Amino acid sequence: MSGRRQVWLVARRELRERSRSRALRVSILVMVLAVAALIVLPAVLLSNERNRDIGITGDTPSDLVLTIQAHADAVGTTAHIHRYDGLATGERAVRRGDVDVLVVDGRRLEWPTEADQKLKAVITGAIQLVAVRERAAAAGIEPDELLALVAPVPVTNVELSDVAGRSAGDETATTIMIGLLLLTISVYGGLVLSGVVEEKANRVVEVLLARVPARTLLAGKVLGIGLLGLAQVAATALAAMIAIATVDSFNIPAISGGVLAWVVVWFVLGYALYATLYGALGSLASRPEDAQSTAGPAMMVMIASYFAAFTMVAQADSVAARAISYFPTTSPLAMPGRIAMGAAAWWEPFLAIAIIVVTIVGLVRLGGRLYATAILHGGPTLGLRDAWRATNKANARASRPAATLGPAPLRQALSAVREGRQTMRGAGQSGQPRAVVVLTLIGLAVGVAVALLTSDVIIGVIAGAVFIALPSRASNSGPAAVRVDPDGRS
Amino acid sequence: MLEFVEATKRYGSLSALDACAFAAQPGRLTGFLGPNGAGKTTAMRAVFGLVELDAGTVRWRGRVVTLADRLRFGYMPEERGLYPRMGVRDQLVYLGELGGRSAMDVRRSVDNWLERLDLADRAKGRLDVLSHGNQQRVQLIAALVNEPELLVLDEPFSGLDPVAMGAMAALLKELAAGGATVLFSSHQLDLVEDLCEDVVIVDHGHVVLAGGLDELRAAVPQRFVDIRFRGPALDWSRLEAVRVIHAGADRARLQVESVANVAAMLAARGDGTEVVSLAYRPPTLSELFRRAVGA
Repeated sequence: MSGRRQVWLVARRELRERSRSRALRVSILVMVLAVAALIVLPAVLLSNERNRDIGITGDTPSDLVLTIQAHADAVGTTAHIHRYDGLATGERAVRRGDVDVLVVDGRRLEWPTEADQKLKAVITGAIQLVAVRERAAAAGIEPDELLALVAPVPVTNVELSDVAGRSAGDETATTIMIGLLLLTISVYGGLVLSGVVEEKANRVVEVLLARVPARTLLAGKVLGIGLLGLAQVAATALAAMIAIATVDSFNIPAISGGVLAWVVVWFVLGYALYATLYGALGSLASRPEDAQSTAGPAMMVMIASYFAAFTMVAQADSVAARAISYFPTTSPLAMPGRIAMGAAAWWEPFLAIAIIVVTIVGLVRLGGRLYATAILHGGPTLGLRDAWRATNKANARASRPAATLGPAPLRQALSAVREGRQTMRGAGQSGQPRAVVVLTLIGLAVGVAVALLTSDVIIGVIAGAVFIALPSRASNSGPAAVRVDPDGRS
Repeated sequence: MLEFVEATKRYGSLSALDACAFAAQPGRLTGFLGPNGAGKTTAMRAVFGLVELDAGTVRWRGRVVTLADRLRFGYMPEERGLYPRMGVRDQLVYLGELGGRSAMDVRRSVDNWLERLDLADRAKGRLDVLSHGNQQRVQLIAALVNEPELLVLDEPFSGLDPVAMGAMAALLKELAAGGATVLFSSHQLDLVEDLCEDVVIVDHGHVVLAGGLDELRAAVPQRFVDIRFRGPALDWSRLEAVRVIHAGADRARLQVESVANVAAMLAARGDGTEVVSLAYRPPTLSELFRRAVGA
């Protein structure tokens, strides 16, 4: 029996059992649809602007209509002209919303409320041009000469963002992408956390560890849940690519096929880092209720990394952004952000990958050791420091005769164990993971909505982060999780 | 053969196992006895590497137990535990496959055991909808799915009703008869006495008595004498070198050193007491146990 086969068996169980969860299936579907909608909807909304209805009444120069249509065409808008016999009927049409503007006597524009600047420019320009033509004819200038006189000088518009070729739209897209990366990494990392604690609380871990080394068990769990996460991220990326391909007018280079491929790579790296951390810290908890607090440090690192990555988006080329995109806890969020903003040189992602892979290898070693020691600890929830000391003791013991031992009395330990057992026995799967998923989704939506409304990314981040921080608080102080008695004993 | 060689495990200043040494033979049922906290569970967990020994080893067939050996062992921990929300058959197949056998073999074993323990119709359902007794049976199958050569069961009889106990006892006997080494702990001494060929009694992490049950009983010099009589009762305590365990209106139980000739003593003393029957008996397991742990 090779260790590799055992890893795969453990991973396969996770895949099978977790993929049965309706909550997970729904959350995958929601994310795929939401991302597709985020890409397709703006294009659909924009297409409304392409068709404008213009009412005309009163004494109008003969060629004004044609000129308005020509000017509208030049800016990608189709102008539909409606003629009204009297001012009153025309104004009624404006008020009803049948037309976007009413042109009275070729001189006055009547708007339903505020003037639409773009449409105003189109019509005013047309009116000016018609007037110039009339005056030129009166002055005896030939139409050909006139055309040469008024031929437009090409003017280029440049949006001066931090990186050439990236607009505010790119920033928003990158922000959303980083948020979704954080969401998926924290959801699947959270599944590893709750899975580890459940196995410990159910005591099934003792049956498993009689056959499987602790590291193999942790590795299989991380792998199995990770494959599910990868499926979700890949499906989302694919949906984004299909949506981009179907919308012709889409022009946001931050979400191209190449960037999306990088996002998938960075999900894998970020998940590997955080899931290992969550798994190791989860093994300290005796009860599902304690999992959120033992994993607190990892969650805090994650939220801080999210903030750091967010502030980077607006200045993707700065020294700080560069540093954040190399640092292993922030790079899974910041590096794909910089890649999306076109700020990363070709070699930078590879450098960051090298750094994070080294970190992951180290973490797997340390985390595996911590997990192997703590997962069989029967007593109440362990402190990180105690657990770490225990791993060192276990390691030293192998090479040392059993003469040097600490003074902690067994009786005390036993009574603690008994107490711990009473409270932890049978604490089964809780409703918490689902609640965390839902709250995090809401948090993310709130963050994005606030960011879009205030067009201020930082405020959006704060709003979103507050919501995302809520679940961990709520589950610490909230009602105890639903208990399932695994062996029927009470 | 499973051997504990000077196995030692300390928690702080207290010894859970103190140079614990004994062996369990293949084809025999070995009862593992001792007061609460004597180190039974620690010893059993040490077989599976769930407890790291401070000194000494656990050996299987003369060599230190390896991971590959453990895949051929079956274990029922004291704290029962399986996946509550997972299907019964699914998780048994999973545990069997972790033991390294092919999926087809494992499925065949699992289906046989489910059939045999009357769980075939519950196989597809989740574990947590089963009754307590049925969950115990699933736990037992979890220890048996890899057709183990060594079976280690921590308190397999606890929480079972008398019918289930009988079934469990018959099953263990059958497994031992099939050549398996079976080690189990229990506090039900009557049951162990009926069931086991060998017993190991530990106290404070140390083996205080171990061996074949018949030999152990024969080795104790004291005998117990059960007497039924008619007529007036004797003052049994006046007999020489006799301890009265029980004295009634028509029967008495005495403890004597070695094979004292009680019949002769009665003939000499017994005024009008007619002995109906008189039998020498070796000590019961409970008596051995109390002597061994000094209670």
